[in-house]
Amino acid sequence: MLPSVCRGVWRAAVHTLRTSRGAPPCRLLSTCDGVPAGLADADTIFALSSGHGRCGVAVVRVSGPSSATALRRMAGLRCSLPPPRAALLRSITDPQGKEVLDRGLVIWFPAPHSFTGEDSVEFHIHGGTAVITAVLQALGSVPGMRPADAGEFTRRAFQAGKLGLTEVEGLGDLIHAETEAQRRQALRQMSGELGHLYQDWSHKLKRCLAHVEAFIDFSEDELIEDGVLNQVDRSVCNLQAEMERHLKDERKGERLRSGVQVVIAGATNAGKSSLLNKLCQRPAAIVSPIAGTTRDVVETALDIGGFPVLLSDTAGLRDSPDLVEREGVRRALERVEQADLTLVVVDCAHVPADAQQAAAFLQGHLRSVLPTVKQRETAFPADRCLLVLNKTDLLPEDERRTLDEELRQVSGLPPVCLISCHTNEGLQDFLTLLHVRVKTLCGDPLSGAPTLTQARHRAHLQQCVAALAQYKHYRNIDLALAAEGVRLALTSLGRITGRVGAEEILDIIFKDFCIGK
Amino acid sequence: MLERCASHMLSKKPPLLQSFLSLVSRRVSHLAQQQYDVIVVGGGHAGTEAAAAAARVGAETLLVTQKINTVGALSCNPSLGGVGKGHLVKEVDALDGLCGRAGDWAGIHFSILNRSKGPAVWGPRAQLDRQRYREFIQSELLSTPGLTVLEGSVEELLVTEPNPEEPGRHRVTGIRLANGSHPISASSVVLTTGTFLSGSLFMGQTTSPGGRIGDAPSSAGLSHTLRERLGLRIGRLRTGTPPRIVKDSVDLSLADLHPPDSHPTPFSFLNTRTRCKPEEQLPCYLTRTNAGVERVVRESLHLNHHIQEDIKGPRYCPSIESRVLRFPGRRHQVWLEPEGVTSDLLYPQGLSMTMPPDIQLRLIREIPAMHRAEIHTPGYGVQYDFVCPTQLSPALQVKSTQGLFLAGQINGTTGYEEAAAQGLWAGVNAARWARAMPPVALSRTESYIGVLIDDLVSRGVTEPYRMFTSRAEFRTYLRPDNADLRLTLKGFEEVGCVSSLRYQEAVRVRDSLQDALAALQALAQSSSKWRKKLPDIRMSENKCTILSGVELLQHNVSFEMLASAFPECLSPYIEFSQRLNIEAVYNLHCDKQKKEMERIQKEENMSLPQDIDYFSLPVSLSQEVREILDRVRPSTLGSAARLQGITPAAVVNLLGYVVHTGQRERIRHRNQPDQKEEKEEEHSARNASLPQ
Repeated sequence: MLPSVCRGVWRAAVHTLRTSRGAPPCRLLSTCDGVPAGLADADTIFALSSGHGRCGVAVVRVSGPSSATALRRMAGLRCSLPPPRAALLRSITDPQGKEVLDRGLVIWFPAPHSFTGEDSVEFHIHGGTAVITAVLQALGSVPGMRPADAGEFTRRAFQAGKLGLTEVEGLGDLIHAETEAQRRQALRQMSGELGHLYQDWSHKLKRCLAHVEAFIDFSEDELIEDGVLNQVDRSVCNLQAEMERHLKDERKGERLRSGVQVVIAGATNAGKSSLLNKLCQRPAAIVSPIAGTTRDVVETALDIGGFPVLLSDTAGLRDSPDLVEREGVRRALERVEQADLTLVVVDCAHVPADAQQAAAFLQGHLRSVLPTVKQRETAFPADRCLLVLNKTDLLPEDERRTLDEELRQVSGLPPVCLISCHTNEGLQDFLTLLHVRVKTLCGDPLSGAPTLTQARHRAHLQQCVAALAQYKHYRNIDLALAAEGVRLALTSLGRITGRVGAEEILDIIFKDFCIGK
Repeated sequence: MLERCASHMLSKKPPLLQSFLSLVSRRVSHLAQQQYDVIVVGGGHAGTEAAAAAARVGAETLLVTQKINTVGALSCNPSLGGVGKGHLVKEVDALDGLCGRAGDWAGIHFSILNRSKGPAVWGPRAQLDRQRYREFIQSELLSTPGLTVLEGSVEELLVTEPNPEEPGRHRVTGIRLANGSHPISASSVVLTTGTFLSGSLFMGQTTSPGGRIGDAPSSAGLSHTLRERLGLRIGRLRTGTPPRIVKDSVDLSLADLHPPDSHPTPFSFLNTRTRCKPEEQLPCYLTRTNAGVERVVRESLHLNHHIQEDIKGPRYCPSIESRVLRFPGRRHQVWLEPEGVTSDLLYPQGLSMTMPPDIQLRLIREIPAMHRAEIHTPGYGVQYDFVCPTQLSPALQVKSTQGLFLAGQINGTTGYEEAAAQGLWAGVNAARWARAMPPVALSRTESYIGVLIDDLVSRGVTEPYRMFTSRAEFRTYLRPDNADLRLTLKGFEEVGCVSSLRYQEAVRVRDSLQDALAALQALAQSSSKWRKKLPDIRMSENKCTILSGVELLQHNVSFEMLASAFPECLSPYIEFSQRLNIEAVYNLHCDKQKKEMERIQKEENMSLPQDIDYFSLPVSLSQEVREILDRVRPSTLGSAARLQGITPAAVVNLLGYVVHTGQRERIRHRNQPDQKEEKEEEHSARNASLPQ
């Protein structure tokens, strides 16, 4: 624990903030809402907690000490809060622009009678992407609010003693699933232009921080020119301006691919493109008996049972001396890494007749197609993969039936479908299974919703800009506090691009300066 | 009170070395019959702090050193503190260690580095008189009750065979000296062998065994025990020291003069002044290398064995050879530092080198101020073994060997301050182990010592580790000015290494600061009234805004100004002016970090058992995560969470496991009849959750 004096001193400082003009606005707000001082530091988190796709109502959950503030400002309530746990129909407005975003239900759950044990609010709004995005962005603009981390609601519930131990054991899996979903979503975005932009900012910020730190830790003894800081000043100014421009840019830079990402992958000539064509009922991809026909990713937007799906056909996986084809294979593997669901297509003529051998063959095949499986998991993620055995029309009827029955009894494999793209045999069963999978994935609010990721990014970028302002404010008063601003900025940006550790900063310092003492 | 104890500290004259030695030999004569709680091997910065700390905690302690008159010697640079390092000195002092007070006694040139950059990164630093420093440390050790110093070389570390039920786990039982006498038994042993563990010295093309020039090499037995008996992973590092220059042979008029601060600031919270009077301080001088120096380095590379070896040296304290090779064409700084009031030598900071002595002379004479300089002792390089510190617990105990503690360069660090900090903490825990008290750890949220130890034990080292302020996440809170509030109270109440005198002083400071802040808070009035009272300050606030005294301090008004305007309520606190100015500004920022700090502390309080089999743990973890955990064996959930490659999901799964196991243990013990035992177990289950 901290020495009690510090707690005392802190309390004094919190008290100070209640009347201070220069204090951050969130403190003043939380104070006028009468939030106890001890809680005023906890972040308030928000997230979409219903699924996406075709749904009538979306639920956005808010938890933390600023929940009441968020509720008042978003639902246009002056002072009194609605009665606890009762639905109230209100216009939901953007607290900054004051424009009406939607009309929906708000429910107020004061602590401790809520899922997380904290003050919580639920907004039940219409399920369109535009509305959800607007509400999430508006929430992000309320001071003290940030998008929830993976599993954070559950984690808070656990910490408040609201969950039993058995539920906690599921928590790890939940967080794993959510981080995985976020990771995949981030990968999709980071591989585009936006990703390059963020990486570039992160790189510049790292250098800024390294140079400020070098100036703090070494300038007294070393030849570190004062010019170093002027350079940092310029970089910080430019970065801040760039980020602000980016946040204002309504075009959002690039088109975001929406929907559950389903990727077809497998060896060459297994019939992947035929499957794509079957699924979208038009010849979107060229099919030929020549192995290696598809060389780039072919992408099609589909509607499967009412849910948005983005289906990608990829180049067949094989070692090829052809440079173009090798690039195709690299892209294919990259897509598999980003996918919510992978359809692994196998030519059933290649499957050994013996059941045991067949299972081993398919497992080996999965390993080669899903490279991350090897590294990350001990078992196959059965919910993220379907095995499609194509070309059953080429097998004799009895052989096909035995294979089907035997594979059903083998454990340790994802669900297997035997189909023929040529005769449409088994296709209906496959579609039913695919529909169930896509539906489950859509129930997970995190997969396939780029707008959500975008809302997260926005919030982190806003924090980043605010932190850079702290640098400027303290630049000539207290360099340690100025450096703290750059550190905070890098932490915020690191939530998008990945964490940056002290060692990485030291590496830059030693690369750029000769430190001799 | 402050005045009284300050004068007490400073008026105490170290006894003459002669009488010290005779006292020691008198103690030695009774040794054979004795058994100690703690034995500390090595008398450098780590060893002396360890021995003194162990004795303060109440352990009967023996310090074994090869040469008694080198106890407390400054082997390399004649200075203490700096940015980051000064933080460590303040913290060691706050825990009642020696080096801060020794620095105040021996300092001959005091300065606060980074004065213009904010109090969180101020770096208190001093040039030291080598002889005075040694004298102070030796006299302190001599006057510490329960501490004996013995001259001798340790031949062997005595350990038990591993317990068959816990394979690979040993227990320390004592040491055996080289002269073949009886073994000396102890519950804990602290090894602080510095560069002496399989050390070899390099100069030009010659190599000789040893850890410091002029001293005998340590015995190979110790190294053998660590490597072969205990199976510890050992690495090798290198460092170096510059030649010492004869002062009279240097033309100081050709160097830039760097005077000290006009008012020396003491390191210790107990001192209000330093032994050295402001006007008695000595200056430093600054010169630079040139193309001639670079040429000599390049021409002599083939004669330079040390520089060709592929052993990791420090990036931030490189030899002049590696500086020139890595950053050619630059003029590197060389500081000429005094070695003491009566010393006729200068220490050329930045000119560490390992070339043959005749070339060293050629090199330094390329620098104009030293064109006629004479070398007193040539520079040399050292290569030495270190124990990979991930094999240690946060108490600095070797995980596989109960009672064996390591501190200082043996853990892969460099620097006096880093060594002293680890020494103190290892000494504290060695004494606690010997007295059957649970180990204590410092969090990285509360101290630089905590940052240092956590970095070592959870990340390990690839090059000699030195403290920088950029390593501390909570830098705005871990300031040199508040080290007493952060550590002295805990040091007395929970650790037991702080004297009641110092504790009472810290309590007085804490209470005064609290009262002063409350008084400032109570001074709330409109800005127009403030303007009337303080006509000098510029206030753009609107007339009716109410501002408190604390807010004025945040807007660059000094406490002294407020105290002169409101003497009746503020003058009692005038001695804390500077601290109040700092507190008022920094509290705003510490406040923001509080939640993050609490989260880290919570995770650090959940320990993971050391004998856990991560590969068979019935928890959902990927193979990759299991391998990392098995390799590093983090002591707490907190350090596990900071490992690279550990996912948030893995942390939560481990958390579930710790909580679950803790609860199971409690249920099991609740069913046992023995009430007392149950209570104890419950306590340990809550704190440690599993047997250590």
